[in-house]
Amino acid sequence: MTTTTTTAEMTGAPARRQKTLLGYVPNVSPFYNFHPVTRLILFLTLGVVPLFIYIPEVNMFLIILNLILLKWGRVDLSRLRIYLPVIVTVAIFMGTVVVLAPGEDPSFTPIDLGWVTIYYQPVFFTFAAYWRLIAMLFGTILYFSINRERDILVGLRSLRLPFIASYVIGLSIRAAGMFMEDFRIIREAELARGLDTSAMKFRDQVKLYMMYLIPLFSISLRRADEISNALFARGYNISGKVAGGGERLDYIRSLYPMTRTDWIAIILLVTIFVIIGIAQMGFGVFAITNSPLEQFMRQWLNIPPA
Amino acid sequence: MSITIENLEWKYEHTTEFALRGINLEIPENSFLGVVGPNEQGKTTLVSAISGLIPHSFNGIYRGSVKVFGEEVKDAEAVHLASQVGLVFSDPESQFTAMTVEEELVFGMENLGYDYAKIKERLEWAADITMISSLLDKSPYDISGGQKQRVAIACVLAMNPRIIILDEPTSMIDPLGKQFIFDILRNLKEAGRHTLIVVEHNIEQLAPLADQLLLMHEGEIAKLAPPDEFFEDTDFLLERGLYVPEVTVFGHWLRKTGKLPPAQKLPRSLDDAVSLTRTALQAKGGTA
Amino acid sequence: MTDLIHVNEMNFTYPDGTEVLFDINLTVAEGEFMALIGQNGSGKTTLSKCLNGLFQPTNGSVMIGELDTRDKGIIKKLVTQVGYVFQNPDHQLFNNNVKAEIAYGPRNIDLPSDEVEARVREAAKVAGVAEDLFDTHPFFLPKGLRQRVAIASILALKPRTIIVDEPTTGQDMVQSREVMNFLRSLRDEEGHSIIIITHEMPIVAQYTERTVALGQGQILLDGPTREVFSQPEILKQTYVEPPQITRLGQALVDQGLPGDALTVEEMQNFLNGRA
Repeated sequence: MTTTTTTAEMTGAPARRQKTLLGYVPNVSPFYNFHPVTRLILFLTLGVVPLFIYIPEVNMFLIILNLILLKWGRVDLSRLRIYLPVIVTVAIFMGTVVVLAPGEDPSFTPIDLGWVTIYYQPVFFTFAAYWRLIAMLFGTILYFSINRERDILVGLRSLRLPFIASYVIGLSIRAAGMFMEDFRIIREAELARGLDTSAMKFRDQVKLYMMYLIPLFSISLRRADEISNALFARGYNISGKVAGGGERLDYIRSLYPMTRTDWIAIILLVTIFVIIGIAQMGFGVFAITNSPLEQFMRQWLNIPPA
Repeated sequence: MSITIENLEWKYEHTTEFALRGINLEIPENSFLGVVGPNEQGKTTLVSAISGLIPHSFNGIYRGSVKVFGEEVKDAEAVHLASQVGLVFSDPESQFTAMTVEEELVFGMENLGYDYAKIKERLEWAADITMISSLLDKSPYDISGGQKQRVAIACVLAMNPRIIILDEPTSMIDPLGKQFIFDILRNLKEAGRHTLIVVEHNIEQLAPLADQLLLMHEGEIAKLAPPDEFFEDTDFLLERGLYVPEVTVFGHWLRKTGKLPPAQKLPRSLDDAVSLTRTALQAKGGTA
Repeated sequence: MTDLIHVNEMNFTYPDGTEVLFDINLTVAEGEFMALIGQNGSGKTTLSKCLNGLFQPTNGSVMIGELDTRDKGIIKKLVTQVGYVFQNPDHQLFNNNVKAEIAYGPRNIDLPSDEVEARVREAAKVAGVAEDLFDTHPFFLPKGLRQRVAIASILALKPRTIIVDEPTTGQDMVQSREVMNFLRSLRDEEGHSIIIITHEMPIVAQYTERTVALGQGQILLDGPTREVFSQPEILKQTYVEPPQITRLGQALVDQGLPGDALTVEEMQNFLNGRA
């Protein structure tokens, strides 16, 4: 199977950005001055900290912060368009659920909108939960927009992830890439046999996706053989032992220096994370009742405080 | 001798026939052996037995002995074999399992326990020879099949084995990529520091490089000879399904029809053939 | 002879902005046996997928018979005109047994089941797939047979034109000859037009009558194979070299040898004729 040359080879133009499994990362970015582990800890802070935060305004602020960081990081913001459907769909979904199935609790305050009755507490809670989710999403988007697969793995190994786990993750990412390419070709092959997906019933479309598994399986089974031969030829064995019995070196990680800036950034981020965690779990600083918007809504709708 | 094979027989599990039936072969150090012949005749099996894939990765019946630099392959440890015998396969995609070229190159060396300085040095050297130094930071999505195959060769070179086996390295590569790979093989041959064993269908590019050519037929060695001798009996080769280079077939005919003396060595490259034919035509013209 | 495919001033640009084909004009007539050659990245695969309607042109048009590939909803009609056999049979085999595989195409175009049955048998016969293999899962067949099953499954749609991507790559001489002789018989005996995409010039020289050479997205050469191979300078632009024997002749034109010999036999006959 002769493989095809890529875009860069075809047009001869240097790429502005590099392709990764999940999209693109910019060629240059101030984030690259930071060690991958620093960027990973940034992700843990921005992507995970919303779990502690029930105040929608704060989460909205985090989202804006993420957008600012994306811009500063020279990420192509127009790519974010692909996340719009998800953001909208989740909003509609969550909104529908809370209107149709708000749950029962005598403390809920009903609000009559004429054609439907909604209950204030679950609605606001869902509203807050939605913004938490979106803040986590943007934290994740930021991380995957400024890290290539290699950076992700180096970051994880810096946190003491064992090499074999890192290798398996890497192999899975690579396999996913190969899968997607194979999947594209299989779709083309089906079209070439007259498969008209637009004219199919939904049930048949579902069956269709099951059928994709068959060629994907055969191709991966054949590849698995070849990959294991290649691993043999590179002297890898499953126990991860190294010839000569020493410790396995991590050359790639050694290429990334940890600078003073990294340490300062890590200390700052971890401190912020811990402070927020303690503030919420110990003192409820980010509880929903502290949201100015919440307080305003209660006032406006004449609902007594919880 | 870098490789000594005595009475090697091998049958894969779940098959009825022996894939290798009594192979006896000695390969001199730093020589270039081309292994040719139709598919399913034992070429891949033979080189797998030299690299240790057989019997370490396959189940079956193994008889006879394969010694690499005096050590018995079936008794050696897999990691040790990888440092002695390098293997390059035909599918560039399956051989690329890391996230960037640099990681790929470093993987084998880390397995062999090299230290940082040695890794850096070997990495730069191997990338230079295979002309991929500008690609070190690229991910597999950004490079072509031919480039990935050069990465595979660089990975093997970086581990510095004394023997390098390439099993149909260009069959899935485009012509330009093929050219790069044969250029690398030529450079390696001229440097003379590795024993090279190349299985190939592309005889036209292989014949000029090989010190010896080996034809496999039904699990046995049908012919082993330097290229000059190898192509002598063209009919024998064609009967066994081998593609003989067009210029060699033509040279054979020139000899058969008296336009070249019967003792004339057959051309194995285009340039050889051009000068020979020119001589033949001018001689004819002279006597006409 | 009627035109099966007509490409008119076509450009093709991928959605991400990469321009791949420029100003392509091409006609495929009935009963042709042609090769599409050129360096990877020259656009030949993209062009071949425009020829069967898989891709639609960005500018210009591709007419397959009376059908315009830019029209929507005509996939089922297009596949009965142009068949496409992919390089790796594994990408095309997704049914549980050989019979279902060959029947897949005819069923997709909603043929009645007795017609499907007849087509399956016929296609299998022509492609050399024995009926006792009908219940076998394609995964377990050797590569050559899987390729045959893939071809049979295309034949069952009875397309007038068949495009085959790399029919001989990775195969030895005997296997390559088998496939190419089979493709030639499809043209000679069944009347299909055959287009092969390949890098193997001796195969092009021995089997095809017409060659189209693509380079940097444009058609560099389009004509009888003999004429195309006698222009090595142009072919060099797309990293293609004529077969060894052709180049031998070209190097010795000053000695009177032909610059367009396609096979060793031709060269021998020429010299015999001269003697």
